[in-house]
Amino acid sequence: MATKASRATARLMVSPSVILLLLWMIVPLGMTIWFSLLRYNLLMPGTESFAGLENYRYFFSDPAFWPAIANTLTLVLGVLAITVGGGILLAILLDQPIFGQGIVRILVIAPFFVMPTVSALVWKNMMMNPVNGLFGWLARTFGMQPIDFFGQMPLFSIIVIVSWEWLPFATLILLTAMQSLDSEQLEAAEMDGARPLARFRHIVLPHLARAITVVILIETIFLLSIFAEILVTTNGGPGTATTNLPFLVYAQSLLQFDVGLGSAGGIFAVILANIVAIFLLRMIGKNIDA
Amino acid sequence: MARAVSTRRKIGFTALAWAVGLLIFFPILWTVLTSFKTEADAVAIPPKFLFTPTLDNYATVQSRSNYGLHFMNSVILSLGSTLLALVIAIPAAWAMAFQPGRRTKDLLMWMLSTKMMPAVGVLVPIYLIFRDFGLLDTRLGLMIVLTLINLPIVIWMLFTYFREIPGEILEAARMDGASLWREIVHVLAPMAVPGIASTMLLNIILAWNEAFWTLNLTTSKAAPLTAFIASYSSPEGLFYAKLSAASTLAIAPILVLGWFSQKQLVRGLTFGAVK
Repeated sequence: MATKASRATARLMVSPSVILLLLWMIVPLGMTIWFSLLRYNLLMPGTESFAGLENYRYFFSDPAFWPAIANTLTLVLGVLAITVGGGILLAILLDQPIFGQGIVRILVIAPFFVMPTVSALVWKNMMMNPVNGLFGWLARTFGMQPIDFFGQMPLFSIIVIVSWEWLPFATLILLTAMQSLDSEQLEAAEMDGARPLARFRHIVLPHLARAITVVILIETIFLLSIFAEILVTTNGGPGTATTNLPFLVYAQSLLQFDVGLGSAGGIFAVILANIVAIFLLRMIGKNIDA
Repeated sequence: MARAVSTRRKIGFTALAWAVGLLIFFPILWTVLTSFKTEADAVAIPPKFLFTPTLDNYATVQSRSNYGLHFMNSVILSLGSTLLALVIAIPAAWAMAFQPGRRTKDLLMWMLSTKMMPAVGVLVPIYLIFRDFGLLDTRLGLMIVLTLINLPIVIWMLFTYFREIPGEILEAARMDGASLWREIVHVLAPMAVPGIASTMLLNIILAWNEAFWTLNLTTSKAAPLTAFIASYSSPEGLFYAKLSAASTLAIAPILVLGWFSQKQLVRGLTFGAVK
């Protein structure tokens, strides 16, 4: 039973958050849109002029554009495949009765709490360096040629690092979902002689479907914005081999000082992320009964 | 018979799970171990698992680049932005949980949607605004940004916790003639504290590890550990042991906090879509 006065109070309590988020979203986004329509280079201040959609044309015809799109998609899909696939297997494994379950779970989710710059540099140097890294040593121990990860397969190396960071997230979410699975149903199926693979396909997977979708959507939103790992390992190179969309926009605006061009790229990134966000928001919305 | 089989099964799964767990954890373990080696031991082939530990790297890391300053920056930025976000978010979440209107759900969804905007879409204007207002490489500027990017998650988490507080208790207190202030202090605050603490925990972790704005808006003075560690991407000479020492100190506090926050992680990062 809300009175008029309490309504007004409620509105007053919500308004600081609304105003701040509105400012945070509308003002910079509006500026990005405006900049994207200008010829605007930080090295030539005072020469800004209206350019219409020219920046968008330049952005889409930039020789780095298609590689960046391809790299962004490869990165997102590669990490998703590894983390969702691995996450399902790990969630099932950790859901079994095992000794020291709590400790194993702690070990598995630990990488999620490591800051991106640390993950990237530790992997690049101490794991993947062909001379001094552990993988190089392992390869030589088994009589193989060490792989120069960042030289020969830079994008794959970044996918490995990012997957290590996100596997815990997928595992934790899917494990939470696993634990709400009715174990009687599984036992009944087992009694009826359903083989493990059949039980997985017909009982476990349908039960996890929703959680898997959520993991995919949330990871996609974060993976579309991968930046730090690339900055500290390859700087987008060699050439454009590891330049993704965020890195391309960063390079255009803060390294080449082309504000107009970078802004056009930024708007493109926003549109791309929004396509995913719409699906995610729809799923979340169904779960709120406010 | 059935029992023997299930014990054997349990041991098998245990071995497998531990092997996988240790494999995933290994890079962290290796970093911690390496931080106590000499630089020569750190690159030794075959890798040394047994060695004479030394604390030299920790001393070097501090003396060469004032590590303490960057550590303090991380502490101030993550705590400061979290407290600021809580101050703004608590009233909002409160009102939405206890005085929901027709538009509350839409409002909440809109708030979450701001979290899904890619940072790179507003990089240029934020950078220019910061430059013009002299906020580049300042803790104040970065704290404002960290507060704003995490505000939607904070509001969202608080909202889900507050909604679990039964509304009848409020009604009862009101019937007894409690003033709004007394109602908050004596009835609601005690019930809200666990939710607020959980929210705080998760937000500190997110702010501590944020690595887009910290890298783009700081250079030296205000740089937190995420940005400081990045300086090891162009190293001189042997640096594995020093990198490890700097990394160990940077991740240790958050690992500990993180292990306490597993449940909140699921709640906070899936926006309640998985329970």
